[in-house]
Amino acid sequence: MEDRNNKLIAAYFDKTIDDDGLAELKEWLESSEENQHIFSDTIRILTASKSFFVPPVKQEASWSRIAAHIAATKDKSADLTNPPAALVDETLIPGSASALQLYNVKNWLIAALTFFGISTAALVTYQQFATKQVIPVTYTSLSNPEGRSSRVTLPDGSIIHLGAGSKISYEKSFSGKKRMISLDGEAFFDVKHKADRPFVVKSGKVSTVVLGTSFNIKAFSAAARILVTVNSGKVGVMTNVKGKSGVVNFLLPDEQLEISTADGVVVKNTINASAVSGWTENNFVYYNTSLKDITSSLARHYGVKFNIADEQLGKIKLTAKFNDMPLAEVTDNLEQLSGLSFKMHNKEITVLRHLQKRRAKMK
Amino acid sequence: MPKHRLDMYTEDSDEALTARLKCDDASALETLFNRHYKPLCHYCALFTRDFAAAEEIVADLFIKIWDNRHSSDILNVKGYLFLSIRNLSLNFLQKKKNPVDSIEDITIAQHVLQDMNTPFSVLSGREANKRILTMIDLLPERQREVLLMSKIDAIDKHTIAQVLGISVRTVETTLYQAIRQLRNQLKIS
Repeated sequence: MEDRNNKLIAAYFDKTIDDDGLAELKEWLESSEENQHIFSDTIRILTASKSFFVPPVKQEASWSRIAAHIAATKDKSADLTNPPAALVDETLIPGSASALQLYNVKNWLIAALTFFGISTAALVTYQQFATKQVIPVTYTSLSNPEGRSSRVTLPDGSIIHLGAGSKISYEKSFSGKKRMISLDGEAFFDVKHKADRPFVVKSGKVSTVVLGTSFNIKAFSAAARILVTVNSGKVGVMTNVKGKSGVVNFLLPDEQLEISTADGVVVKNTINASAVSGWTENNFVYYNTSLKDITSSLARHYGVKFNIADEQLGKIKLTAKFNDMPLAEVTDNLEQLSGLSFKMHNKEITVLRHLQKRRAKMK
Repeated sequence: MPKHRLDMYTEDSDEALTARLKCDDASALETLFNRHYKPLCHYCALFTRDFAAAEEIVADLFIKIWDNRHSSDILNVKGYLFLSIRNLSLNFLQKKKNPVDSIEDITIAQHVLQDMNTPFSVLSGREANKRILTMIDLLPERQREVLLMSKIDAIDKHTIAQVLGISVRTVETTLYQAIRQLRNQLKIS
């Protein structure tokens, strides 16, 4: 009998319910509070379903394309290579023999359509579609080695801070309906707001979409997880693992999405977003982070290698903040915080326990 | 070449209009087009999740109908139109198998755009719809299709039954299954 109630609710929603049905529905609603919950939930579901559909916007343009096709195929049997003399219009072709040789099929088509009185709007649309395939697309790539980060301004005015050891690429003119960027690595995006042109960053199987906001994405193809952190505005993140599209996750400022690349599992964190994007100004903040992770991060940004001899040392947790410091100052700070020694030689830094401490222990 | 006035045809049935196509009557096609464009776009978007692509696919179908006007006899026009769109949409999706590309097709942009274009005070209603739409996205394909189809204007249970090749009773039970499933999910969340 539950189906009966569903049927009535659906008819009520569609406004096709009759008087008897309405009376029956009312009686069912009044008989219990649970029925009222069922009713309101079902209405919400039907409302949401209906909201899926957006009115089409290109009806006229679509018809123009069809009309142009109809006109273009109207006299298919006519000889296209031998235009009738009457259609050789002086205004189309300057009167000279060599110019006549330039008279190609396309011009004949224009002449024919004008003759049959088809509107030029339809013609233009047809020509656009006829030549649509031919335009080549060039991509611009930008790639940073370890130790170097850079800033680039896109054709739409958006700014990307590209991190060390990272790479982006995008269609050169950036003029498509969607503003698309591919990212492998880390970058901070400051996107210019354009209401009708979504900005999409593809990083592996994760797509981040915005209209105009600022956010940080850390998505190294080799890493186990992708991190999207929002500084301002609202961001939609979509994952596509195992070929099935996942749900859209929305993030607000100071929210972060952590996506595991192996299984698509997603975790939402609250975080200080400016700490995460601080690297763009050479500011690094580490909250209770293992020495191993700190040195991996610094290695990439400064373009050096850290050797932590003893694995146990790598597990030490530190909280540290480095504001626009040269590497030497950073390692000094780390020495003081950790009580370990950081010795640099040829872009390689070795981390050891201090000799004095070892001697002290031996005593 | 005299052009027939469009309003002459608005009373004609779908079948009468397709008969006129054999006389090379483009106005008959235009009437058919205007009559069915919106619901066909909606049905197509159900699969493609990309409204722009849907509009193109629908226009392509009408071009095809024109091209084949002399060689085919369509018995049930409405059923034919929706069934064709279904096939064209599924073909479209097949071609987009690459997971990276299919993300584009999914209405991320649509979700984000719809969300962002509304003033904050109205967001809560939209948010609720978005949540449920995401759940609908995860329903079994057949339930999702029947549920959304039932919400397209100009599509009734008989059309759904015909296009999907099932009985009207099955359409109803599938619809109610979908609604029950979603209600359970709403209770949990």
